[in-house]
Amino acid sequence: MVTVMELYQLLPKTNCKICGESTCMAFAVALLGRKRNISDCTPLLEGNFKKQKEKLEVLLLPSAGAEETGMIVHPELCTGCGNCVVACPVDVANDPRGAAIGCAPTNDKVIFKVVDGKVMASNIKECRRFGKNRVLCYACIDPCPTGAIEFV
Amino acid sequence: MATCPGCALLCDDIDVIVENNRIKETRNACRRGAARMKGCFNRLAPSIAQKPVDIESAIRKAAEILKVAKSPMLFGFSNSTCEAQVKGIQLAKKLGAIIDDTSSFCQGLLIETIFQEKFRTCMLEDVRNKADVLVYWGSDAQDSEPRHLSRFSYFPRGESRQRGYEEDRIAVAIDVRESNTAKICKGHFYRIQPKGDREFILALTDALSGKVPAYEPKKILELAAILKKAEFGVIFAGIGLTYSIKEDMEILVALADKLSNFHIMPMVGHYNMRGFNENLFKETGFVNRVKFEGKAVQHSPAEVLDTPSRGVTLVHDDKYSIVEALRNESIDALLVAGSDPLSSLPRSLVRHLASIPVICIDPCVTMTSKITAVTIPCAVSGVESGGTAVRMDGKKIELSKIIESDYPTDEELLTRLMEAL
Amino acid sequence: MGLDVGKFMKNPEYEIKIITYRDIFQVEALERDRFGKDYEKLSAFIGMSKNDMAKMGLKSGDRVKVANNNGSIVVEVRESRRDEPGGVAFMVNSPWSNVLVSDDMGGKGIPEFKNITAKISLVKEEITSLESLMEYFRKLKQV
Repeated sequence: MVTVMELYQLLPKTNCKICGESTCMAFAVALLGRKRNISDCTPLLEGNFKKQKEKLEVLLLPSAGAEETGMIVHPELCTGCGNCVVACPVDVANDPRGAAIGCAPTNDKVIFKVVDGKVMASNIKECRRFGKNRVLCYACIDPCPTGAIEFV
Repeated sequence: MATCPGCALLCDDIDVIVENNRIKETRNACRRGAARMKGCFNRLAPSIAQKPVDIESAIRKAAEILKVAKSPMLFGFSNSTCEAQVKGIQLAKKLGAIIDDTSSFCQGLLIETIFQEKFRTCMLEDVRNKADVLVYWGSDAQDSEPRHLSRFSYFPRGESRQRGYEEDRIAVAIDVRESNTAKICKGHFYRIQPKGDREFILALTDALSGKVPAYEPKKILELAAILKKAEFGVIFAGIGLTYSIKEDMEILVALADKLSNFHIMPMVGHYNMRGFNENLFKETGFVNRVKFEGKAVQHSPAEVLDTPSRGVTLVHDDKYSIVEALRNESIDALLVAGSDPLSSLPRSLVRHLASIPVICIDPCVTMTSKITAVTIPCAVSGVESGGTAVRMDGKKIELSKIIESDYPTDEELLTRLMEAL
Repeated sequence: MGLDVGKFMKNPEYEIKIITYRDIFQVEALERDRFGKDYEKLSAFIGMSKNDMAKMGLKSGDRVKVANNNGSIVVEVRESRRDEPGGVAFMVNSPWSNVLVSDDMGGKGIPEFKNITAKISLVKEEITSLESLMEYFRKLKQV
């Protein structure tokens, strides 16, 4: 998991404010939270920082799919065991005769599905971490032994 | 819906998208299953002495080898359908050959104990509906039978376990390493020393009898309390456990006797290993390591059974296990169906393979197929051909034919081989 | 040019216990292509705890020779990402680990796949390839 410090170390550290943030550290925080893009830091795009920029891109790559809930799925770590499919309370509620009892999902209202042996998330707005009454739910992370799902 | 032949869970809720007679996408199958269903890069081609021939010639050559052999052996079968396994057993009988499968160095011992009804066992549907205490012992289901916990044991809601894993179920792992399964059994992971299963079983048996266990008393008593409270408990016994107590399965029987609400289920990797064990057991009373011998009187000290109807004598002996047969160099020809002994057996053992003619029936190129006298390609069972298989708990499951293939099935090949004899 | 003393000194050997296990990613690679690079990468390594590695002066990525009476292989050593108390090393069940498994069956016809003792030492040689394991059998065949 990438930390703010790791990102910060790769930034120009000049606190130039071109990006609109008051410091490079603030920009790093915004990067991690997916509120800003690497390209918002224009000095980084200029020659000298090529290597740093490439490193940042690699570090932030797995998060490119982060949805509004901050959920990131790492398909390369997933074993396709389906624990999250069955453990997710939304899946249980939306598919009582399928996912809830350990069977294949019977409808498209579930959040997790396993495709080609790897998990895929959809209906992300149904996630309990989303919306006005959100709760800090860990039901899909805890049953995953390989860390293939995380929230940022 | 299709059945996945990836492991002995035989998940029968798989959706596949087929395009141009190729599996383009699988749904619900795990990583292992998806890989099996999508197939291998290197398909096997028929050959004699590693030179390409047509299938018919390869079968004729194989028949020739088996005919002249004085002590032929048939081995493999855990990736074959029940129908092919039955044909394999018939072929062994006709040849007076030794027959053994991969369970011989895997879960055979445990499965035999279950067939002898020394343990209570149960169906996976019972586990889903009733089980409240699940013990993964020497078994990393997450990596070997990946949907075990999500389809049946820990995560799903069941009839008497409506609240699923959060409140209604406890999962325990006993292992030498913190496996992926152990990671899920947080707080109930008991790490043991290599070969420490015996000590652990004895201590647990003591604790269940009200004695203070000689070994890690605090942890053992805590576990014993969990097990005692179980309404419907299951021990999922992996090869880690079987290997460790292979000399003394009776201590597991004794432990099971102390746990009246518990069931024991063998964890099986290859999709139809249990099928072979059932088919051979039905025919001979043994799960593996059998030799058929015409009408000759057998003087072996081993167990001898007569099947008078056919006038065939059969002998069951550890020396008819694939490993002992290779070690003692007691066979002079070997037919391998759907297995890769060169890869899966200790190298110190497989030297003999280099000095005898080997016939390899497989869908894919394997290490073994690269050095064998004859190779005969077959269809991928459960993908390119249907049939039946036996799930790890003993339930018969129908396999699916998902795509068309020009390759003959292994059942067909064994039939043609028998005709060629 | 200075004299490379290290060249003449034998790297220290340590005795280790090895447990084999299964890994789904390696099984996936096997299903796809058992002669492929992925399968080799996921098989030809030995996992050890941080402490054990420090004791033996090994670091992740080093190549080590693992040998006993049954055979010898060169694999990569990797620090286990799991919480390991040490004292035991781990290898995925594969043709590599099988080089080290004894043929002494203790009577039941089941080899000691999960109970291997071997010596480990730092080497510079290339990692044993599947092709070289095949070569071993091909040579046996010629004899």
